[in-house]
Amino acid sequence: MPPPLKAVLADDEKSLCVHLKNLLQQAWPELQICAEARNGVEALEMIEKHHPDIAFLDIKMPGMSGMEVARRAADMCRIVFITAYDQFAVQAFENEAVDYLLKPVEPERLARTIQRLKERFEKRDLDPAPIQAVLKSLQGRLAAAAPPPYLKWIKVPDRQSLRLIAVEEICCFQAQDKYTVVQTEREEFLIRKPIKELVDELDPQTFWQIHRSTIVNAAWIDKISTSLTGSYVLTLKRRPGTFTVSRGYRDRFKSM
Amino acid sequence: MMKTGNKLQTPCDSVRQKDFKPMSPTLRQHRKGLSWKDLGLTALFSTIIAALLTYVFQDESFWVYLIISQGIGLSICTLCRYSLALFNPQTSWGIVAVVATASIFGGMLGGTVGAWLSGIEMPIFLSKKIYTLRVLIMSLLFGSVIAYYFFSRERLSEIRGLLQEERIQRLTSEKHAVQSQLKMLQAQIEPHFLFNTLSNILSLLDSDAARGKTMLRDLTRYLRASLAESRSQWSTLGSEMELVGAYLNIFKIRMDERLQVHIEMDEALKEIPFSPMLIQPLVENAVIHGLDATIEGGTIHIRAEQENGLLRITVADTGQGIASVPSPGLGLANIRERLQALYGGRGRLIITENQPRGVKAVIEVPYATAP
Repeated sequence: MPPPLKAVLADDEKSLCVHLKNLLQQAWPELQICAEARNGVEALEMIEKHHPDIAFLDIKMPGMSGMEVARRAADMCRIVFITAYDQFAVQAFENEAVDYLLKPVEPERLARTIQRLKERFEKRDLDPAPIQAVLKSLQGRLAAAAPPPYLKWIKVPDRQSLRLIAVEEICCFQAQDKYTVVQTEREEFLIRKPIKELVDELDPQTFWQIHRSTIVNAAWIDKISTSLTGSYVLTLKRRPGTFTVSRGYRDRFKSM
Repeated sequence: MMKTGNKLQTPCDSVRQKDFKPMSPTLRQHRKGLSWKDLGLTALFSTIIAALLTYVFQDESFWVYLIISQGIGLSICTLCRYSLALFNPQTSWGIVAVVATASIFGGMLGGTVGAWLSGIEMPIFLSKKIYTLRVLIMSLLFGSVIAYYFFSRERLSEIRGLLQEERIQRLTSEKHAVQSQLKMLQAQIEPHFLFNTLSNILSLLDSDAARGKTMLRDLTRYLRASLAESRSQWSTLGSEMELVGAYLNIFKIRMDERLQVHIEMDEALKEIPFSPMLIQPLVENAVIHGLDATIEGGTIHIRAEQENGLLRITVADTGQGIASVPSPGLGLANIRERLQALYGGRGRLIITENQPRGVKAVIEVPYATAP
């Protein structure tokens, strides 16, 4: 008789972990549950420590997502994903015939998954390729969760605290001596970061440099007109005054 | 509870596509060519000027003055139209400059042609100072009339533009209000939240039935309150806090010891009218993006207070901070739009870094006992 199969469970929500453990013990008493993890980092540690045959991984976990754990552990054990609701992931699991459970876990569904796992272990069909394929197909979405490449928030000192201004709120940046003035509809703040640095850190789709010392938020542009001398003059929404586009930054407007 | 559910679509329908065109940056374009209105007005002014000059100088017949005056008027008007279209000045001074130049040239040209047509011999017309003076006066008079005409038209179109802009802004904010209402509806029934909570309840019914029942009760309270409230324009601060409380109770079970909750509110503030679902998204951000994303979790602190005519609601967490989360995903723009729609410039949302870590979001609105 072969030694009993070992499993690691990982879910950040304790009662769900306990529930799954109970269901598993009822439906598959031979399965030896050697560890329960509360986050991704712990799950990976447990897998490395206990060398389980199966890892039940919740997709959304703090520290490290179930996907990330699977990416690192797919060669070490069989993976069963658990998710409450993730259409994309479920679609990918179906396509690649990867094992997964939906929360709330239903006993019938679990029984079928257990049956399939048993068959795989009997046939020694433990190829990690389907898991790799799933991870690859979901790569785009996993990358989307990574921090955005451009600044989304500008930190500005305001009295004793650091205010966070969402870039969408900002209508323009203007250089002033060593500082940069950040203007929103109703307020303005001084930051130390020079325009030169800001230009590279802001999304160029939305933030247009129109002068050596001025960047405007394109979403705030109300009107573009030409002056008698042929230069472009911008008016911003709900803000007084005009901005003249200097010679070096004209090209963007010429094509309009 | 006020029923305004059927209102959901109407403002959207009234915002037609063309209403939004001027939102994109536009270039002012002067019209080319003469209209019948231009011709008619020119003829009228020329006639008046001719009559005036005949009366003042009394040296030539009215017909001579009329022909010369019409010639001057027509050529100035034509020149103005075409040069405005050609140079396309955008400022008032630009228009004055173009009109003045056009008047000088138009006056000389039209005066000469007019004189020729009325039978005055050219050498005499060109050499006599008296004629030159007359032409100059006519040109000046006509030029000022034209300049005034274009000026007031410019002002009129500016005023129209402003009105149009205001209308667009109103329609846009109405549209945004409807959209945000819809978004709000979608946000509450976030499937991930719902299924996770349901599976928690299901698992608790086996292991700790009493807790499972409490959680089910909280979920019901949360769903009922949020569905009812999203349809009404006003709720009270008390019921908003209750909604937030139910939501946090659910998360307290789900996150276990990883979540600590502190809610502070003066009893007297309970009945204050408050817009529904303004606080909830902030709490959701704090929990989901701030605390649940970290291994150790943390504390959420909610406080409602009244000070110097301001009602201030603070939601602070000790989570990972939002600097790494893309801002559009947080629904903050939605809150801002709704504050703007409800309170104009007097309602605001301030996001700051919490000390020593996490995020602090503050909503400030005028303190009023009735909306």
